[in-house]
Amino acid sequence: MKNKRFNLLLIAFVTLVAVWSLWPTWRDYSLSKQLSSFKSAPDSLRYTLSNRDEIDSARKKSLKLGLDLKGGMHLVMEVDQVDLFEQKAWNKDAKFTAIMNTVRTKASKSDTKVLDILSGEFKNENMRLSRYFYDIRNSDQEIVKKLEKESEDALNRAKEIIRNRIDQYGVAEPVITTQGSRKLIIELPGVSDENRVRNLLKGTAKLEFRLLRDPEILVRTLDRLNTYLVQNLVAPPSAPVADASPSPSVSSQLKAPVPVPVPAATTARQASAKPLYDVIGVFQNGTAYTTERSKDYVTSLLHRSDIQALLPQDTELLLAAKPEIGKNGEKLFPIYLVKKTPELTGGVITEAKATFGSQGVQPEVLMAMNSEGTSKWARITGANIGKRIAIVLDGAVYSAPVVQSKIPSGNSVINGIESLEEAKDLEIVLKAGALPAPVRIIEERSVGPSLGADYIRAGILSLGWSFLAVSVFMLLYYKKAGIAADIALVLNIVIVLSVLAGFSASLSLPGIAGIVLTIGMAVDANVLIYERIREELDGGKALKSAIEVGYDRAFSSILDSHVTTLCAAFLLFTYGIGPIQGFALTLMIGTAASLFTSIVVTKEIFSFLLDRNLMTQKSFG
Amino acid sequence: MRIFHKTSFDFIRFRKIAYAFSLFILASGMISLAVKGLNYGIDFRGGSEVLIRFEKNIDVSTVRSVLDVAGVSGSLKQYGLDRSFLFSTVFNGETNDLKALVSSALNDRLKNNHHEIVRVDAVGPSIASDLKWSAVKALMASLLAILLYVGFRFELKFAAAGVVAIFHDILTVLGLFSLLGGLFDFMPLEMDQSIIAAFLTIAGYSITDTVVVYDRIRERIRGQKPSEYERIFNESMNQTLSRTIITSSTVLLSVLVLFIFAGPAIRGFAFAVFTGILIGTYSSIFVAAPLVYDWLRLSKSPVHLRGNKVS
Repeated sequence: MKNKRFNLLLIAFVTLVAVWSLWPTWRDYSLSKQLSSFKSAPDSLRYTLSNRDEIDSARKKSLKLGLDLKGGMHLVMEVDQVDLFEQKAWNKDAKFTAIMNTVRTKASKSDTKVLDILSGEFKNENMRLSRYFYDIRNSDQEIVKKLEKESEDALNRAKEIIRNRIDQYGVAEPVITTQGSRKLIIELPGVSDENRVRNLLKGTAKLEFRLLRDPEILVRTLDRLNTYLVQNLVAPPSAPVADASPSPSVSSQLKAPVPVPVPAATTARQASAKPLYDVIGVFQNGTAYTTERSKDYVTSLLHRSDIQALLPQDTELLLAAKPEIGKNGEKLFPIYLVKKTPELTGGVITEAKATFGSQGVQPEVLMAMNSEGTSKWARITGANIGKRIAIVLDGAVYSAPVVQSKIPSGNSVINGIESLEEAKDLEIVLKAGALPAPVRIIEERSVGPSLGADYIRAGILSLGWSFLAVSVFMLLYYKKAGIAADIALVLNIVIVLSVLAGFSASLSLPGIAGIVLTIGMAVDANVLIYERIREELDGGKALKSAIEVGYDRAFSSILDSHVTTLCAAFLLFTYGIGPIQGFALTLMIGTAASLFTSIVVTKEIFSFLLDRNLMTQKSFG
Repeated sequence: MRIFHKTSFDFIRFRKIAYAFSLFILASGMISLAVKGLNYGIDFRGGSEVLIRFEKNIDVSTVRSVLDVAGVSGSLKQYGLDRSFLFSTVFNGETNDLKALVSSALNDRLKNNHHEIVRVDAVGPSIASDLKWSAVKALMASLLAILLYVGFRFELKFAAAGVVAIFHDILTVLGLFSLLGGLFDFMPLEMDQSIIAAFLTIAGYSITDTVVVYDRIRERIRGQKPSEYERIFNESMNQTLSRTIITSSTVLLSVLVLFIFAGPAIRGFAFAVFTGILIGTYSSIFVAAPLVYDWLRLSKSPVHLRGNKVS
């Protein structure tokens, strides 16, 4: 009798806890229903204000819907560790660049740690890491350890910066976690403007102020590149690469660049005596530009290491971030020759503000610097009056104003921005700071709100129909005993949902599939017990002892089958990623809960009915 | 209501036919795997997928030709049965560009049929290989765990035969995926993460029915002579036949509901679990138990079953 009372108390306790855990979900649902029933906005506002606490707490504790049901983005971003390590090296010679390139290709193909690939490559080349990293006296292990620390820091910093950006943009309940040594997992529920979020996340936000080289040097450099291209495209490989014949002076007149279709470019350019000037035009004032159509080709050209080797010491050719509109309405992207070493970087920026410029139409971003930056900025501007300083963000030139006078205030401005929205995003990324290394999106799953609503409908339909089908089946097949199984089934579903709500796990479509499957599996325990009871009844046992023996004998198979299902679900949860975990989780909770509901709960129901003589042999169908 | 009440099928006698049948199904699946291979989903293949939904009915070939003309390379197919199409292409981290490309092409040429991009999935190659590995690990680990557990609860021969039955079930479903992959518009049957989840579910569940049969054999075989084994196996299977079938049917019912109502994203999963459980039920009667019988018969050593029954 004592044991029986304990079971009853346990059932009552579990039911109460489950209901208590799901109560906020119910409140949240009914409150939002109430809110949407108001006809006028002031009414609903008044209601919201007077019930704010309740609404907030209900929402906070209610069962969360997964990204797929609510709509939203799931992103996996990867910190570019190769870039990070490159930054850390103090001596970058050709050998180093070659090794790093191998590392980069290998890292993109496999999931091995970049650091392992790196040290492996250095071992293959029989070189010590200290030749490039940290102190020459450090052993390889020490350096690996330091770099490891460095990449951990970088990942955590990247996480913080991205969190800052998202917070400033404003997403409700973002979840950002790190995975392994280079991955960030970002979950953004209910994002409406995915494109903007993507842009906001991926930029490194590396801001640099760089001195522009004189126009004559740009023109000379372009001529040299052109000559190089002429030799390398026209001359057969066997021909002696002698000193180039002086190239025709092409820079003195305005050229209209003929955009070359890139795939067929080789033949077209072979015939041309000035391959570079087919894609790059030079104005009389010494500024160079390319057209929108040739932009990709020019970008790839500028990234070639043989081209980069021809540039003057410590310089780089950079494209503008935004096109200028030419005379005929075509989009022209200016090309700048800037010093490689920045005069100042974005680390000194303390404040950024998106606003409209002096004419009130052009959006721009005003920036303020810290004291160190201010004094440096004053010195730089003072020393370079009349020269141009390019404002470079993530390798693209936003503007290159001429320094009119010394700027003592530490203020600077980015213009050349298309829209206020873009200016606002720049403000966000500048405030949040630069990422320690570039990040890339390597996995993305985003679901729009309309599809999410479809998923919810599909999920509810599946839950409803499977419950109906299984419970009616149990009633038909086992008669009265089926009722007990059905009650246990309801409790089982309630427990699964309440555990999810209680641990603030979210319910996704695969999670619903897990519950649906649980509905089918949970009654299995009852089937095993009932079949056994029938068998015992057939064997001539009295009802009461048949029930006793039935529960007793069936337990071993029930336990075995539940343990195996739990095993599989647990491993799926451990190794699975994202949506699959939701499925594994509900299946796990459901299977575990069914051990309780299908055995303890139904047994109590039977003993209750038996005590009142409400059961006969026929009750088991 | 009672079905399969007091049956007396001679399962053991027909086991060789069952073996042959299983081998035939398995072999055709394996041949199809070798020849045709599997339709890998985006999870394991890597790539980008865009789900486009139109306002009005439209033919898949129309949309395809529009995208072709616009120079958007990739493949397009019907998704589910409503006006949705799945466009898949190589992995592109710049989802914005991809979306813009698809959207502008469709807006330009299909002005009066508004479309919406309702879902985007992009999986980079390193993630894809990651997912593949964790899938393999999860499967192997769960098979090992089941082998150990059943071995601990019964006996190694029982456990091994049970795991063979699981292999049988999963490989048969895998073969079916290869055979039927890409044949139906409403279910593409692509191998992705959800199918791995299905395999693990099948593995966990396939042993359920097997354990029920084993349990009864264990209960009855104690102290019996090997010459009685055939009778005991047959009777045990007949006695548990109805519960084996009923337990499977309730799960099949739920999975059928999933297949019908849960939408195309879950359909492949539901198909895999449905066929897996069907085959699992068959295999626990016709593969797992007969294998144990044959093994016991050939090894001629008495069974040492664990798990003493208190009667």
